[in-house]
Amino acid sequence: MIEKPAMTEKNIIIKIKRQDKPASSAYWQTFEVPHRPFANIISCLMEIQKSPTTGNGETVSPVTWDSNCLEEVCGSCTMLINGQVRQACTALVDNLTTPITLEPMSKFPVVRDLQVDRERMFKNLKKVKAWIDIDGSHDIGEGPIMQDQDRAKRYIMSECMTCGCCLEACPQFTMDNSFLGAATFNQVRLFNLHPTGEMKKEERLDAVMGEGGITDCGNAQVCVEVCPKNIPLTESIADIGRQTTWQAIKNLFTK
Amino acid sequence: MAKSSKDEIHYLLLKLHSLTGIVPIGAFLVVHLCVNSLRTVGVWPYQLSIDAINNLPFLLIIEITFIYIPLLFHSVMGFYVIHLGKTNAHRYRHPRNGLYTLQRVSGAVVFVFLIYHLGTTVAPKLWEGKHYFEAAPFLIDILNGEFQTWQGMVIYTIGIISATFHFSNGLWGFCVSWGILIGQNAQRNGAIVFAMVGLALTVLGMATIGEFNMNPVPVEATVAR
Repeated sequence: MIEKPAMTEKNIIIKIKRQDKPASSAYWQTFEVPHRPFANIISCLMEIQKSPTTGNGETVSPVTWDSNCLEEVCGSCTMLINGQVRQACTALVDNLTTPITLEPMSKFPVVRDLQVDRERMFKNLKKVKAWIDIDGSHDIGEGPIMQDQDRAKRYIMSECMTCGCCLEACPQFTMDNSFLGAATFNQVRLFNLHPTGEMKKEERLDAVMGEGGITDCGNAQVCVEVCPKNIPLTESIADIGRQTTWQAIKNLFTK
Repeated sequence: MAKSSKDEIHYLLLKLHSLTGIVPIGAFLVVHLCVNSLRTVGVWPYQLSIDAINNLPFLLIIEITFIYIPLLFHSVMGFYVIHLGKTNAHRYRHPRNGLYTLQRVSGAVVFVFLIYHLGTTVAPKLWEGKHYFEAAPFLIDILNGEFQTWQGMVIYTIGIISATFHFSNGLWGFCVSWGILIGQNAQRNGAIVFAMVGLALTVLGMATIGEFNMNPVPVEATVAR
């Protein structure tokens, strides 16, 4: 049984890094919300939204944020909480040191306040053809059967919710380079392991063998530490390293 | 979508950066530390090994092709790799992230150390034209002097530890990047093995400079001109 944290009269101080427009500069504001047991960051943000008044009594525009599923499956509420990237829905205030600081992710362009634009991740998925081709204008027949051990391996990899934690924490992923990042390499491995997806294997490997590709990984392995879905990202990266190495050797002799 | 040759070159250069760190540079480091550790056995076998190397045919061409060019390439690419990322070990305190930062720091330290090391040994040797059997007494004389100062000892200690760390951690990085170590257990076990390799090389280097420091022996040329 979970022990219920004691109800206190104390308020929780939350410092939020805010930004009005994508191009404007960021500023900090401090808010106070009443402490409620089991409260998460999202419920604190909703509390602030009720009456957005800063610590010094000034009424300001409500703080905006992204959230959707509230059960760590969609990845949309990813932000920096006390400097660490994670989902706000599963960040319980009782487990956090106060004052709590909230910042938008730093490796993606800010839309407003805690909202960021993660389009780069979706562009990367398109670059590596992270999908399985199905019938087009004509029926291409049944696909090959997947082995059960491959299915088991793919299951954990398929849990990626494109939240961007691995990229935010990655020292190689910055706003001014084109690094694809752990999430993308994991998708390449996921779809190359699929018997039908394997038919596009060389095209996917080709897409990660260039600037911003697999060679730009510095093996800092923070991605796997911060991944909320515990995806073996470093195994995926090393496996793509192996696949691209063989591909490069093959290209040397056949191209 | 046609792939630009720029991407192919990028892939090839970074792959070569990783490879040159193992062969020939890493291999040279191992041989260099092993041969120099003969100094702990005695001056005579040490001098003999220097004699053997300095009497190799086409020595300068071998050195330029297999040491200086790969070293320069690895260094230039190394600084490019440093420029690709932005360290964040202060924020995300995980051991491997610390090693990521240290790999970059040690690489830069070794680069500076090698300028010093080549400047005090190879450069005067070539400048003074000390070849064949004349090289050993000339170089041993320089090293005997260098290791009598505490500054020399500090510089070499930092230089050797940076080099052995950079090499052993780089061996692990090579094995992961090239897809030799894939599984989490394999990567961890590999890291343990390479840490022991690094430790052994460090002991070898420390023993050598310790012997130089405590027991400087001047030598004569093995064969007089």
